Amino acid sequence: MSAGQIHDLGYKRYVGSRRSVATRWTVILRQELASSWKTWWRFKVWLVAAAMSTAVAAGVLYFASGKMIRLFSGLRGETIQIADGIIPLSTQWYCKIGFVVSLTLGASVVAGDVESGAFTFYFARSLRPRDYVVGKLAGLAIAMSLVMLVGPLALAGVRLGLSDDNDQLIALLPVLPKALAIGVLGTLIYAAVPLGFSALVASRRYALALWAVYYIVIGSMAQGLGLVISPAIGAIDLAESLGAIAHALFGVQLMGKHAVEPPVAAAMISIAVQVTAAIGVAFWRVRRAQQAGVGGAS
Amino acid sequence: MIEAEPRTGGPALISLDRLAKHYGAVTALDHVTAEVDGRIIGLLGPNGAGKSTLLKALLGLIPYTGRARVLGLDAQTQGAEIRDRVGYMPEQEAFLAGMSAVELCTYAGELSGLPRNEAMQRAHAALYYAGLEEKRYQPIAGYSTGMKQRVKLAQALVHDPEILFLDEPTNGLDPRSRDEMLELITELPARRNCAIVLSTHLLPDVERVCDHAVIMHRGALRFAGTIDELRGTRGTDSELHVEVKADAARLAEALVQGGARCEVTSPLALRVDLPVHATSQLVFLAARAAGVQVRGIGVRRESVEAAFLRVLAGPAGPSGGPR
Repeated sequence: MSAGQIHDLGYKRYVGSRRSVATRWTVILRQELASSWKTWWRFKVWLVAAAMSTAVAAGVLYFASGKMIRLFSGLRGETIQIADGIIPLSTQWYCKIGFVVSLTLGASVVAGDVESGAFTFYFARSLRPRDYVVGKLAGLAIAMSLVMLVGPLALAGVRLGLSDDNDQLIALLPVLPKALAIGVLGTLIYAAVPLGFSALVASRRYALALWAVYYIVIGSMAQGLGLVISPAIGAIDLAESLGAIAHALFGVQLMGKHAVEPPVAAAMISIAVQVTAAIGVAFWRVRRAQQAGVGGAS
Repeated sequence: MIEAEPRTGGPALISLDRLAKHYGAVTALDHVTAEVDGRIIGLLGPNGAGKSTLLKALLGLIPYTGRARVLGLDAQTQGAEIRDRVGYMPEQEAFLAGMSAVELCTYAGELSGLPRNEAMQRAHAALYYAGLEEKRYQPIAGYSTGMKQRVKLAQALVHDPEILFLDEPTNGLDPRSRDEMLELITELPARRNCAIVLSTHLLPDVERVCDHAVIMHRGALRFAGTIDELRGTRGTDSELHVEVKADAARLAEALVQGGARCEVTSPLALRVDLPVHATSQLVFLAARAAGVQVRGIGVRRESVEAAFLRVLAGPAGPSGGPR
């Protein structure tokens, strides 16, 4: 623009209706998804990895569904078919991909916004802290569900498709809600808990490091302590808890050294506590930022 | 320049009634009472004066005692409605990572409740107005300081606000960019039908663009009124600055004979203090008598900076308005 010259396309007062405050979290949700989709390394690559895992598992289901599996047994110790064990077994692959996606998307959300001053941008408008948290969480959850939910559901669909007859199909129908439950739980874990960690510190890098250390180091330590002290301690490890719930839902148990798993009740409580605490921390942090974020400190 | 139509009727832009805010033992706002109106209002005060706290209170972001109304809406209970009708340009950077200017402004419009298409159209218009039409698709991270200031202005404008709060809008700008920014601000009331509250430390900026001023000091209101009132315009306008075609000293002699006090500041200009009950007519009569051609005559006033320092140094309690 040259000095003294103002370009103006004209102006008309906006007289239309405005989106209600109660639904503005959907704008944040859409933006979160759009930014996730923007670059390859943040999400798309890992989505492809999840799709490939699903394809491999589906291939195993198709070509080896009648074979027996030694890693698992039925709850009474009986040997079971690969087809019955592949969905709970696949949970650990999805957990690994979910963790990577939580690093690239979720674990830096709030810290990144604190760092860039984005809270001033948000809260100078008619947004409430809960709109921000719900919008971000829902956006992350939708992205994460493409990894954690769609895969198990697809495998459940393949499992149903491989039924020998209608009777078997009907008998296998509960696989769908079970896969759904595992997917929803996994989505919640890998969307909410990293979001909470991103709210703990004001630095994006530290938030990422904190979440990684918690998930990998603290999780491994909990697993180890679970083996020697009490299996319930292992429930602190989120992937371990999800795996334990998946195995219980599908009626299988691990054999050998993998047999020590946290009890389902402990796993459920651990997930509930960690998810609730994470959402609480995120809300608390955002609420504080809302009150301090506009206009700086006086 | 387009002339802004003055606001007529309706509630005052900002109405404060014993507004108080304490942070522990610290008093950030000390029972501020004022009615603030105008086209471009300068919000002035040293660091810690309470300007930011006042802005937060007006946006309905912090609890307080007393009453604060913006456009007739109660900031305590109708903060959301106020924020839909107010645009805020922050002093510090407030961008979202990886976004282009047009994406940011569209997002800002949507967050303020505009439908997506409307937000997008207005984002382009606001960026065009702010002078970023060619760079609007580039990531903001690569922008210069001046361009970032323009984006901040555009994102504050995009949702069609009735009042704009601008926090140090010319901070860090080179002289040319500062000129352009001030020109954009000056034109806004007429072009966008909005009032502006300009919070700044740069008093020359206030002198150049504001018609009203609010001065705060240690949480208390020290002045609210027009710039003319702040600069101490006298009813008789007895202090004049006179420019002549030649020989200011000769005119000064003639004026002194007429009872005025004069100070020749250059061969072509002089300061004149008229005697009581005299008017500027005396200058013209003296000029005719001295054979000097007058090229310009204006009322000599205190600069905003001098007036600001005088108000801060003066006794506590509001002067001027409240208006």
